[in-house]
Amino acid sequence: MQEPKEIFVDTSRCTACKTCEIACAVAHSKGGNLYAALMESPAPKRRLYVEWVSPDKHVPVLCRQCEDAPCMHACISGAISRDERSVVVTDTDKCIGCWTCVMVCPFGVIGRHLETHKSYRCDRCPDRETPACVSSCPTKALIYRTAEEFSHGVRRGAASELVSGEGK
Amino acid sequence: MAADRADYLVIGGSAAGMAAAQVIRRQAPSSRVTVLSEEPDMPYFRPMIPYVVTGRKKPEEIGLQGNGPYTAGGIDVRTGSHVDSVDVSRKSVAVKGGGRLSYGRLLLATGSRPYIPPEIQGTDAQGVFALRKLSDAREMARRAGDTNSAVMLGGGLLNLKATFALLERGVKVTLVVQSPEVLSQLMEPGDAGLIRDALDKAGLKIVTGRSAKGIISGKNGVAGVSLDDGSEMACGMVCIGKGVRPNIDFLPGSGITIDKGIVVDKNTACSTPDIFAAGDVAVTFDPVTGKRIMTGLWTNAVEMGRCAGYNMAGKKTAYAGTFGIMNATQVADMPFVSMGIVHTKGSDHEVHVRASGSTYRKVVFSPDGERLVGALFVGDITGAGMYRYVIRGNMNIGRIKPRILDGTLHYGHFLKG
Repeated sequence: MQEPKEIFVDTSRCTACKTCEIACAVAHSKGGNLYAALMESPAPKRRLYVEWVSPDKHVPVLCRQCEDAPCMHACISGAISRDERSVVVTDTDKCIGCWTCVMVCPFGVIGRHLETHKSYRCDRCPDRETPACVSSCPTKALIYRTAEEFSHGVRRGAASELVSGEGK
Repeated sequence: MAADRADYLVIGGSAAGMAAAQVIRRQAPSSRVTVLSEEPDMPYFRPMIPYVVTGRKKPEEIGLQGNGPYTAGGIDVRTGSHVDSVDVSRKSVAVKGGGRLSYGRLLLATGSRPYIPPEIQGTDAQGVFALRKLSDAREMARRAGDTNSAVMLGGGLLNLKATFALLERGVKVTLVVQSPEVLSQLMEPGDAGLIRDALDKAGLKIVTGRSAKGIISGKNGVAGVSLDDGSEMACGMVCIGKGVRPNIDFLPGSGITIDKGIVVDKNTACSTPDIFAAGDVAVTFDPVTGKRIMTGLWTNAVEMGRCAGYNMAGKKTAYAGTFGIMNATQVADMPFVSMGIVHTKGSDHEVHVRASGSTYRKVVFSPDGERLVGALFVGDITGAGMYRYVIRGNMNIGRIKPRILDGTLHYGHFLKG
């Protein structure tokens, strides 16, 4: 089986422009474009959150698809499972809005649709090759790769830094 | 006939037992895993039974197998199997109606049953319920169709869920609560204002500071309830929600150490080799208070059951314990989360409360103010899990304290560097 891709965050590149948040909400709207999304009710919700850490760091926070996902095991209605993409998904038909998942998610990334009384979270954009947030990020702070590819990139970056350091 | 034997035998087919069985199947795929459940139904999501009362779900729609994380096959579940006794020296159990099963390793996950206060007279009348099993839900659903009024004894979360199920069925409901306010286990009376308002708005009648003396019955079972102030209330059904007691009746004489529930070490192991316990029946500990506790929460039972499963399959895993108080739900249109130490009257904890017209937020710190020990969020529960993480980890909160106070904590605050 091919290793699933993950969304990685390079916080050094994030400028908190929040383009990803808008792209996420639009991607999860009925109309699928910004203008239609603005008029929709219930308002489309973003599923990642660009947060600020004092003094000058910005961190896009989103579902990490935990290996032993606490939300999945805690769910009292069997609504949360892992799909064939290895993504933790909430079945809205089964969700009863008890918010147990909200209580146990250590990342604080499970939202609540108050209108429909259902929880929601990053679904990794099942209909897209690349999640909307990643495609939209103008500074490439969001990276969609397998863990292996990502760590390879990190190692290569570190190595080239070492080499350039030695040259000095 | 060869003796019936399971490599891993689980007594109890609910949250803890099934979560353990799933883990064991995955850790030891070729082993024989047998679950004995005394209920006639195959394992199901117990917290969903109020939806069977309302009719929103059919019993077969709340089954465990194949839903959520319960996808491992090959677990031999035997329903209608009540265990009478455990013989630890022969490593076998006796099943009611004859039959004996031997085991390599045993999990005791028999859960708990409703506590029916003996001082209430006449609780064996037809139409008196304690909503615990799917079979109770079926009967309650039937009774709800034949009556238009119910009295609920006890103001805990479980009874509130039963209450809303009956309200949805068009039954008039009166809730009789001995405490000064509903949900007294999960919050102090002064914290329950918003929830009380929501309950009142939902059309529920609440009587506090009263308890039931007896059930009045007529030819169709329940006809009313008599209270300790001498008053009587007419009703067609009664639901008792007065807490639960662990199912340990089959254990005395077995040699397994019991102290109210089954005593386990940090790896969920009992005092006797190759025997483990998890869920409502097990005595665990609260990482905040350090006290030994028993809880009756699905989510806790699953977590502890999974931990037991790993230990049984040979992967040593410590259970991190759980809060004596922990629950999340929504009553009427008001969501809330309560966790850790939230009862602070007369204690020297550092308490901060922020309230608005639609939200109530109480955070409780250790007396020195350096650790978060409890949180109650009503109305807005955003990010509650992060606060749970901080409480459970006994973290020194230092620079994130202002964020905890104003509710702006986010995961970025936990990142280093």
